[in-house]
Amino acid sequence: MTVQEFYTEVDGNYDEIMARLKTDARVIKFAGMFAKDDSYNALVRTMQEGNLDDAFRAAHTMKGVCQNMAFTRLFRSSNDITEALRVKDIDRANMLLEQVTSDYQRVMDGIKKLVES
Amino acid sequence: MNRNTDNIEQIVEKNTILIADDAELNREMIKFIFEEEYNILEAEDGEQAISIIQEHTQSVCLIFLDLLMPKKSGLDVLQFMSNEGYINYIPVIMITGEATDETDEKAYEYGAMDIIYKPFAPNVVMRRARNIIELYEKRIDMEKQLEQRTRELVESKEKLEKSNEFLVNALSSVVEFRSLESGEHIHRVKYFTSLFMDYIMKYYPKYGVTKEQAALIVNASALHDLGKIAIPDSILLKPGRLTQEEFEEMKRHTLYGCELLEKFKQEENEFYRYCYDICRYHHERYDGNGYPDHLKGDEIPIWAQVVSIVDVYDALVSKRVYKDPYAVEEAARMIQEGECGNFSPEMLNCFDLARAELFDVTEGKFSFADALQSQ
Repeated sequence: MTVQEFYTEVDGNYDEIMARLKTDARVIKFAGMFAKDDSYNALVRTMQEGNLDDAFRAAHTMKGVCQNMAFTRLFRSSNDITEALRVKDIDRANMLLEQVTSDYQRVMDGIKKLVES
Repeated sequence: MNRNTDNIEQIVEKNTILIADDAELNREMIKFIFEEEYNILEAEDGEQAISIIQEHTQSVCLIFLDLLMPKKSGLDVLQFMSNEGYINYIPVIMITGEATDETDEKAYEYGAMDIIYKPFAPNVVMRRARNIIELYEKRIDMEKQLEQRTRELVESKEKLEKSNEFLVNALSSVVEFRSLESGEHIHRVKYFTSLFMDYIMKYYPKYGVTKEQAALIVNASALHDLGKIAIPDSILLKPGRLTQEEFEEMKRHTLYGCELLEKFKQEENEFYRYCYDICRYHHERYDGNGYPDHLKGDEIPIWAQVVSIVDVYDALVSKRVYKDPYAVEEAARMIQEGECGNFSPEMLNCFDLARAELFDVTEGKFSFADALQSQ
């Protein structure tokens, strides 16, 4: 799978990431780093614990990372959950977590294929 | 010596960028832009950022600071930098995911130089960072130059003041030498004048005397008897009581001093004015019964009032060709009760305040050299 195909698959912005990182090799390196980033796990864990402050921070970090990676779709859902957590709307956040999880899974699957190829 | 410390400062090259962000990926995103040209230090939270700033103060030339971090936020770090003064020589660029007027406003208020929003274009970030680093380099360089120049100016001013004081002392001791007095009278008058000036500045702000003026007045007090150089030996050194005629001549030393000074008159020069007033008016009295001009009350400049009271005190407690010294308590009583002429309530109050210090010097409780040093 090429980097461009990967960005199409995860509904990201290939042109934007290339403007930023210049080479495919560097994008792959950063994608590997994204896979190791703990903010999604932290978000799930803190929401289960009902710790809204830490959940907000985790969602915020995740959103920032997606922004930097030009993962447009995952950025959108993580941005929505960040805003819900900012105003401590727990019901809405729980609802949005499903979307975040499915978008996140899609990116992680893509990265796996990208790194293997 | 200063040059050496400058060199040491220069050895620590200012080429380190600190990136503070809780997500490694975000740090890397900035790091790869700068790592070829700069050393990079990373902090995962606000606390780490603060300890790196403290440890690497000399080498950090720029900080990228994320707003939302665990332990301490970006704003906490900025606040710390502002409180401790780091913000003046280490520029900070805030990084934030969303632009809100409130946080932007706060970041600038706390001293951030710039704010960039995720996601950012590397070229733009590079350009902005370089501009800011250069700006600070120039500013710090200019401040250093200014400091150096100020130091040099202060040093040369101190040198000038020292030589000035030396010349004034030398000139006044000529007069004392002729009067067969030890040079101590002048030293004591200067020291007593400085005591009085301290109390005047502390308790009588109405006279508006500044520290600098007080220093000039103390220096000028040494010249109070300059005119005695023009008094004939037969009068100046006469052991017995002076005749009325002789006394009238003796009183003229106040005017002779001014004549001497007028030959070197310096218009608008503060120091000249103090010297002149002190020479002329240090025998005036508050009730108008002094000489030579019979000035009254606050017509007598405050610096002349000070020198006249300390001169009287020192004359009373010193041995002279024509008299034995009075005990300090007795001298103080005579001054307070107006037996040596009338002084203003303010001067008498200062005399009371300075009493212990005056007595200590006169009775030799500490050596006079110590007293001068403690000025």
